[in-house]
Amino acid sequence: MDARSANKKEWPAIVKSLNIDAQEIRRRKDFLQFNEEDAERLKSINELAEKYADDVIEEFYRHLMSFEETRQFFRDQQQLLAHVKNLQKTYFLRLTKGNYDQEYIENRLKIGKTHERIGLPVDSYLGMYNFYLRAVGARLFTTFKDDPERAFKAFLSLMKITFLDIGLAIDTYIDSREQTIGAQQDAIRELSTPVLPFRQGIVMLPMVGLIDSYRASQITEQLLRSIRDTRAKVVVLDITGVPYVDSRVASHLVQTVEAARLMGSKVIISGVSPEIALTMVTIGVELGQIETVGDMQSAIERAEQLSGYKVIRVRPERRKTDRAENGFEDNRNNDPA
Amino acid sequence: MLVPILKQEDFLIASIQGELSDVELLALRDQLVDKVQRHRSRAVIIDVAVLDIMDSFSARTLRSIAQMTRLMGAETIVVGIQPEVAMSMVQLGLRLEGTTIAMDLEDGLAVLKNRGSQGNDACDRA
Amino acid sequence: MTPVIERETALPIKSDLDVLKARQQGKELAAALRFTNTELTIIATAISEIARNTVLYAKTGCLQLKVINQDQRRGLLIIIKDHGPGIADLDLAMQDGYSTSRGLGIGLPGARRLMDEFDISSEVGKGTTITMTKWERTKL
Repeated sequence: MDARSANKKEWPAIVKSLNIDAQEIRRRKDFLQFNEEDAERLKSINELAEKYADDVIEEFYRHLMSFEETRQFFRDQQQLLAHVKNLQKTYFLRLTKGNYDQEYIENRLKIGKTHERIGLPVDSYLGMYNFYLRAVGARLFTTFKDDPERAFKAFLSLMKITFLDIGLAIDTYIDSREQTIGAQQDAIRELSTPVLPFRQGIVMLPMVGLIDSYRASQITEQLLRSIRDTRAKVVVLDITGVPYVDSRVASHLVQTVEAARLMGSKVIISGVSPEIALTMVTIGVELGQIETVGDMQSAIERAEQLSGYKVIRVRPERRKTDRAENGFEDNRNNDPA
Repeated sequence: MLVPILKQEDFLIASIQGELSDVELLALRDQLVDKVQRHRSRAVIIDVAVLDIMDSFSARTLRSIAQMTRLMGAETIVVGIQPEVAMSMVQLGLRLEGTTIAMDLEDGLAVLKNRGSQGNDACDRA
Repeated sequence: MTPVIERETALPIKSDLDVLKARQQGKELAAALRFTNTELTIIATAISEIARNTVLYAKTGCLQLKVINQDQRRGLLIIIKDHGPGIADLDLAMQDGYSTSRGLGIGLPGARRLMDEFDISSEVGKGTTITMTKWERTKL
């Protein structure tokens, strides 16, 4: 999927996640006091805009390139620079074309996303708008020097529409950040409750920290998928690290045990502290079906037993050799009969 | 959609191949009951791995199969319930009482092999 | 704020095959939203329950599925309407134990448990309408 079609699929999604519907657009325009008159005024200076577009863009990039960071940024990226300049010109000309509705907004969001993706910092972005307003402003007052009021009004309209654009651009930056944060949080949640394969057919799930309803159901889903993937017939669910279990979490535990049972797997809950035991009894949790154990050691032993494992300690015959190697005498032959 | 029912030694294996309508589920029930009687099977394994939904009707039908075949001396083993299905069944309160649950076909066969001999791991797990 | 309908679809519910279709459609539409696989299964199961109920007691009904957007939240709205005999005692029908043993409205309390919002209105001789919604879970 090339960049352009990837973009195409993306900006309707942004519009949705930012909830920028007709109502929202209206609200933002009202806030900036941008109305039909402004739209008309902008359209009226469109011809002028087309005339000085190239000049303004060149001036702008000359200014940009006078800064070391920007020079560095675009240094080995001539194609990118040309692409961005082109986008700028299109963007610029769009400001005076009228029709500042859904399609306009989506276009602005698309541009914002592009800038965000190439890593353009927010202050550069704002600096651009500022330079632009000044460059255009100067030209407006020169062109309409005999009608300063007209120039001023046009300038104000221009300011309103650029501020609308700035708001949208910032929104796209924030949206990207939030998506990254969301993805990171998901990763953290999964990492914080790892399902550990213990032996063939046994997995262990140590739960640590406070568990809310959402996390509890996430953990259950993770566990059940793990049961399927590893064909684990026994699960040791350890809640030693869970300080507090309320009725919702308790019922989640019960549900987890039952769901695992429906998959042919047995859950042993270990680490049930006296406090949690009291909570569960008080809540009236159906303990009949659930096997609980006080400590993980016992749980593991029980899991092994259920799975048909038997752990045998190997007789310490090697220890005598160790002793000889460590300088102890081998007394066997010296023993009196 | 016809559910193939395989006869293996003294038990039957029914592998559901796709979503079944209510009518098809009832037909399966009748077929199984009939076959258990004819072959004097001691167990029926029903593989529901392909089902992505188990609602109250399917659960009830499975329970009926278990009840009816038990009257003929057979055990019903349900295998292959998927994680998402297990979750929704639990929230709906469906327990499949009267059936034995195993993880998959292999596990179900192991349960059958262990029946009657010492050590009923599946019973411990139930 | 009234919900905005982003997508919608409707299908008649007349037979057990329609129940299967309803489940499929439900999953398809719900896929446009941010639901986990488990939630999709739950939605399809709830639809199955109420759709079957309609077939059993009203013979014919109409199912509407809508992807809605309300107060910054998106969800799936499910409406099933029939002009069947109606349910005389709703409270009784919506009671857990009663439904299972009597075979009336078996899936209704279950469907309610599965969904975030559940509403049922019925009038004897006129028909029944069930409305239920599952919202996307907003984390953070």
